[in-house]
Order: sequence, then C-alpha cells, then structure tokens
Amino acid sequence: MNLYHNVRAQWLAYLVFYLFLAAVPLVVDDNFLLNQLSTYGVYGMLALSISLCWGFGGILNLGQGIAFGLGAYGMAMTMQMQSQDASNPMPPFMLNNSLDHLPLLWKPFANTGVGMVLALVVPTLFCLVFGGLMFRARVSGPFFAIMTLAMLSAWGTLILDMQPYTNGVNGITPPAPLHLGEFTLDPYSPTAYWTVLGLLVVATVVAKLMTLSRFGLVVQAIRNDAERVRFLGYSVAGYETAIYTISGFFAAVAGCLWVTLTQYVSPAQFDTTFSLSMVIWAGIGGRMSLMGAIFGAFLIQGAQSYLGDAFLNTWLLILGAFFILVVRFLPKGLIGLVESALGRLGRKRGHDNGGSVPAQQMLPQPGE
Amino acid sequence: MTAGSFFTSFDLSAFINALILGISIASIWLIAALGLTIIYGAAGVINMAHGEFIMLGAYSSYMLQSSFGLPFALCVPASFLIVAAVGLIIERGLIRYLYKRPLDTLLATFGVSLVLMQGVRLLFGSDPKYIAVPPAFSSNIQFAFINISVFRVVVLLVTIAATVALWALFYRTRFGVQVRAVMQDKEMAASFGVNADRVYMLTFALGAGLAGLAGSLFGVLNIVLPTMGAAYVVQAFLVVVVGGGTLAGSVAAGGATGELQSIFAYFTNDTFARFVLFVLIVVFLRIRPQGLFAPSAKRR
Repeated sequence: MNLYHNVRAQWLAYLVFYLFLAAVPLVVDDNFLLNQLSTYGVYGMLALSISLCWGFGGILNLGQGIAFGLGAYGMAMTMQMQSQDASNPMPPFMLNNSLDHLPLLWKPFANTGVGMVLALVVPTLFCLVFGGLMFRARVSGPFFAIMTLAMLSAWGTLILDMQPYTNGVNGITPPAPLHLGEFTLDPYSPTAYWTVLGLLVVATVVAKLMTLSRFGLVVQAIRNDAERVRFLGYSVAGYETAIYTISGFFAAVAGCLWVTLTQYVSPAQFDTTFSLSMVIWAGIGGRMSLMGAIFGAFLIQGAQSYLGDAFLNTWLLILGAFFILVVRFLPKGLIGLVESALGRLGRKRGHDNGGSVPAQQMLPQPGE
Repeated sequence: MTAGSFFTSFDLSAFINALILGISIASIWLIAALGLTIIYGAAGVINMAHGEFIMLGAYSSYMLQSSFGLPFALCVPASFLIVAAVGLIIERGLIRYLYKRPLDTLLATFGVSLVLMQGVRLLFGSDPKYIAVPPAFSSNIQFAFINISVFRVVVLLVTIAATVALWALFYRTRFGVQVRAVMQDKEMAASFGVNADRVYMLTFALGAGLAGLAGSLFGVLNIVLPTMGAAYVVQAFLVVVVGGGTLAGSVAAGGATGELQSIFAYFTNDTFARFVLFVLIVVFLRIRPQGLFAPSAKRR
C-alpha cells in the first residue's frame, strides 16, 4: 500500500507541516518578514479553496478573485469605518468625490460585527446564486471557467467604476489596524501570524474531513463522471453548487485576512492574473492534494518575492514555462512526484503495490 | 461616444449613432472571436493565449511597418501568416498532446499566454507602440447626423470578408468537409481516411492567424501594448460561449452582444453597460446553456 494514500500518514504530515509553520515566529524576529509570511498563509488558504473546487470537485474556477475581492472589500470597509466617528462620519476619499453623506452601501459597515459578517456572507451568497444558476443549467467544464472569468471581469470593472463608493483604482486603505473590542490585531505581530495560521489549520482540517466524508466522495465521483452520478439519483447541480460555495467562503475568509494584514484593497484583487495565479499555485503544487496546493502557493509566492528581484524581467516567462511543463508532464503537480516516490518505496519493501498501478493514478482515492 | 456629447437627453439621431457604433463594436468582437470559434469548434480547445495571439498580430504589423516600411495594407495579411506560424509551432509542440484533457489545454495555453506576453515585453519593451495608417483611414465619415470613423468601417468590411471566407472554406471546400467531419465524430472521420491530426493542426494555425489579423487592426484602433490582448479575450470568449461554438452562432452572438453593449452604454456608461451585459449573459446561459446555435450532435 502506498503510504501517500494512508489517511493516518496524511494527518501526521499535516501535523508536522503545521507544527513547523507554527514555530516560525519563534525564530524570525523581523516583523516585516513575519507579515509577509502571514500573507503567504492567506495565499495558502486561497490555494486550498481552489483545490477543493477544482481538484476535488473538478470545477475549474478562474474567478476565485470575486469571492476573495468581495471579502476583502467588505473587511476594508469595516476597518475604514472603525476610523470614522460621529464628528467625522465619512472616509476622506468620499469627500474628494463630492459625496455629502455616507452612502447607504456603507452604513452597515459602521458596526464591526455586522461588517465582518457581511464581508463573509455577501461573497458566499454570490457564489451560491451564481453557482446555482450555472450548475442547474448544466454549464460545466471549460464553459463554467469562462463564465467565472467573465463575472470576475464584470465585478472588477464595476468596482473600478463606482469611484465615489469604492475609491476606484486607488482602492481603500484603512488607516488603522483591526480593533475587536479592546484588542488590536497588529498585522506585524506574531499574533497576526498565528491567527492566520490557526484559521488555515481550521480550514485545512474542515476541508480534509469534508473530502473524507460521504459528501466529499460524491463530489469526487462527480469530478470523474457527472453523468453516472446523476443516473444514480444524486443532485449533481446541488453538490456542485455546494462545493463551489464552500470554496468561495474559504476565499472570502482569505480576503478578510488579507486586508487585516495589508490594510489595503484595490480593484487589482479582481485582476484575471491574480485569480489565474491561484490556479497556477494549486496546479503546480498538486490540485488533488490540499497540502500540495498550499505548498504550491508558498513555493510560487516565495519564489516570486525572492527570485523575482533577480529575474525581474523574466519571472513571468519562467513561471509560464514552468506551468506549461507541469500541465504537460505532471498533471498531479509536484506532490505527484512524492506520490510516485512513496509508491516506488512501498514496492521495494515488497508490499502490495496496488496503489501505484498507472491506470489508477487519476482515480479518486478516499484519502487523497 | 463622440456623438453623445452633442445631445443631453434621449435623441433619435444620437440613438441611431449608438446603434451604428454597436455594429462597429459587434464587428470588433466578432473578428476577435472568429479564431477562437474555429479553434474551439473544431478541436474543443479553449485557447487562453488567444488574446496574446491578437497582441502578436499587432506587434507583427508594428515591426513590419517600422523596420521594413511595409505599407499597412500588406502588414495585415503578413500578420496573419506570422501568427499562424506561431500557432502552428505551439500546436505541434504542446497542444497536440493535450486534446484529450480539455481543462488542461486551457491551463497550458494560459502558460503560453504568460510566456508570449513577457517575451514580447522583453523584446519590444512595455512602452506603447503605434501603427500608422494611410491618412484616408484616419478621417471620419459624416453623413447627415451619422458620424463614424473610416477605420471602423474598414474593420467592419474586413470582418465581413473574413467571415464569408471562413464560411466558404468550411462549406465549399474539401478541407471544410473534413473539418466538419472531425467536429462531428473524430473516430468516424479518421476511419474514413481523414487525417484528424492534420485537421486539428491546420485549424489551430488558421485560428491563430485570424487572431493575428484582428490584432493588426486593433493595433490601429488602440495603442499596441504587451498587455493589450486581455482587453479583447473575455469578450471574444463570451461571443463563443453565447454563440455555442459555431460560426453562425458567433456571428449572431457578436452582433447581439455588441449592439446591446452600445445601447446600454447609451443609457448609462460603458462600464455599467458591460456589467449589465455580463449578467444578462449569465441569465441567458441559464435558459440556453448550449448557446444560440450549438453544433449538431453526432448522427448515428
């Protein structure tokens, strides 16, 4: 048996991976570096959401930036309103855009709790409605991917255009970090890092349990043959909408976290490049493995930050070429290498080598 | 809308001008989508690098004009050939291995688009380039209250010519019969002696060439930038999706979406019109997911 498919070994790998990540602030005292590493955690959560949707559900979503961006805008509006008070009720950019009172759109965000809930509920609801419409019409595969791309571009232009409400291309830059009652979340502190990591751990555990559950198995069955699952009497559209919405919710959480870390949001979060790079992270790391996808995000973003300076002009060239190679030769991503290495190891020891028969490679494994 | 500034409220002549602009927008979206349509229709490949093929067409024209002094009228067909050659190389080197994995062709072609965009940026720099046209093209036609630039009429005529040529190729030649046979049933066509591999290769190159043709025209309408492809690719995809992947579908979808965009833009503004149009397309797909004119199913 290939150790890679052993669920207990997988949980152990998660434990080691996250214990290692949790120990990072103990050795890193550069606060800026710590903040940067925290944002990688956010990217990891995005890659996780893509892995759920695309790797397990088979739904390629090129518009994950919608859920991320809407969540981020909701959080940015909440944090912006924390800096406003009765004497100064409006964010400064609105005055520059000659608004004379706070628009209705912004009113609910004056209450931090309501604002944060809205930041999560609005993107999730959007995914529910949009996904429901599309999947019920049996729009799937590449067509769904194109529609998510179109929706992303529509949202991006809309937010860019609503200058008085969203500050257009400049975006929203909340002047102060997030307050929750007495507590202030300093984005440059180990607390922020651990908060992000904690939520990433929770998201991973929830996602992992979901993929192991009955629900997760049906979703993976739909990925492999939607028609057959439909003939068995399952509501394919319902399951697809559910996994797409859950994935959108995770992306919204990531959006909220991202704003608390960077205190900034702009229509650039709705760029197609950003949403496509999420797909690249998951694709390179390994979309059918939650940890592979997260690792892919760390790897690519880390390389972009550190090699990006050295290869400033050729970075996109390298990334594109690398991605082509992965798609062409490693459809399971880099984690697929680990899988085949462990499979070979298992065979050498003389165990049953059923896990490494090539014909089974792309089939779902319950613990994958 | 230049005409819109002369009128403050609803005005029939301004509205008619908006309708005429709509035809022009439709022709631009259609010519951007033609190559995508035949690549998707024939081979089922979602070509994310299509926007970059358009960009390559614009840069080919720019290069031929500024380095070799080729007249613009010759740059357009030359761009077709250059980009078709690029498409051929990409199809042989990469796409042909992925025909059985449609989502992966989408991803691989996205990788190609990154490489092409950054490659062009390295070669030509990221500052905007301009393509010069004969002075007759840069004037405006003024007829009663109708006002439209000559070049937009040129684009419309080229689009009509390209569409008619494609139609003739698909329905009046031996190659066209082969393409349609492969579209309906690849295995069956192959067993009747059609070289499906070669058909895929040639349609991909043809589709890329059409993008190059479109690019050489767009380079005149707008400035030439390494990132210019992104501005056209989403609309081109929507035309294909709404049309259902057939030539007739794309013509109808291009016409309808371009016209609606212009009408909505007349009542609101360009950006909001785009948002409304996209939402309408989502609703439309809910009702008719196969698009306007879906390809005929396999006949057994």
